Amino acid sequence: MNISTRTQGDVTIVAFAGNLDSNTSPQAQQALDGILADGCRKLVVDFSALDYISSAGLRVLLGAAKRLGGADSALRLCGLNETVREVFQISGFSTILTVVPTEADALEGL
Amino acid sequence: MRPGFRVTIGTEPGGVARVAAACAEFAEVHALPEGVRRSLQVALDELLKNTIAYGFAGRQAGSGEVTVEVERRADRVSVTLTDDGKPFDPFVTIAPDTTLSVEVRRIGGLGIHLVRQMMDEVGYERRGDRNVVVLTKYLREEGA
Repeated sequence: MNISTRTQGDVTIVAFAGNLDSNTSPQAQQALDGILADGCRKLVVDFSALDYISSAGLRVLLGAAKRLGGADSALRLCGLNETVREVFQISGFSTILTVVPTEADALEGL
Repeated sequence: MRPGFRVTIGTEPGGVARVAAACAEFAEVHALPEGVRRSLQVALDELLKNTIAYGFAGRQAGSGEVTVEVERRADRVSVTLTDDGKPFDPFVTIAPDTTLSVEVRRIGGLGIHLVRQMMDEVGYERRGDRNVVVLTKYLREEGA
């Protein structure tokens, strides 16, 4: 798993590459904890290089979503492949989190 | 010998990752569709994580073994997971409420729910002192 982070204005964009599963979720958790501890209120998660996600990865996302829950904050996810989308649909995450096709869509209006 | 692979892991860190790597290699050799391979990867992660966290709970560190056998047949991929943990049928858990909001949402049970939905058949059997979980994923034409 590779995690890269950059900022654009007041938005942090974090890209996950590889698998977000029970093995790699602690690493993802640590990265998101760091980003949120830095005071990030607007977060875009780029999954365009993510191969698959399991419930361990969903747990990390849910934690970040809860912490970003305030009115002036936002979390958007983009670039989901078919399997990741399927996992989001089965788990109901596609209705509780904001999922958009591309990074440009995610940044629009944030 | 039928085409496939067999890996035995314990509770050591990196065990599940070893299975994931073997599965990726198997999928490449047998030219499995991406969707099938990814679904298998998710199912293996969920079930192995469960067995290690609950099936082997309370045992001496380092004890406990899970054997993963994956086999490619003409129309399907069959997965058999055998462990010597305490008796546990993962598929009797109640499906989680996936309609709850972010604030009240919990993750428990979600992994098994994913396995059930992403595999075509799931089964459990207690065989002697072992748990045996069998999964089937059919190979369909992409988009069919």
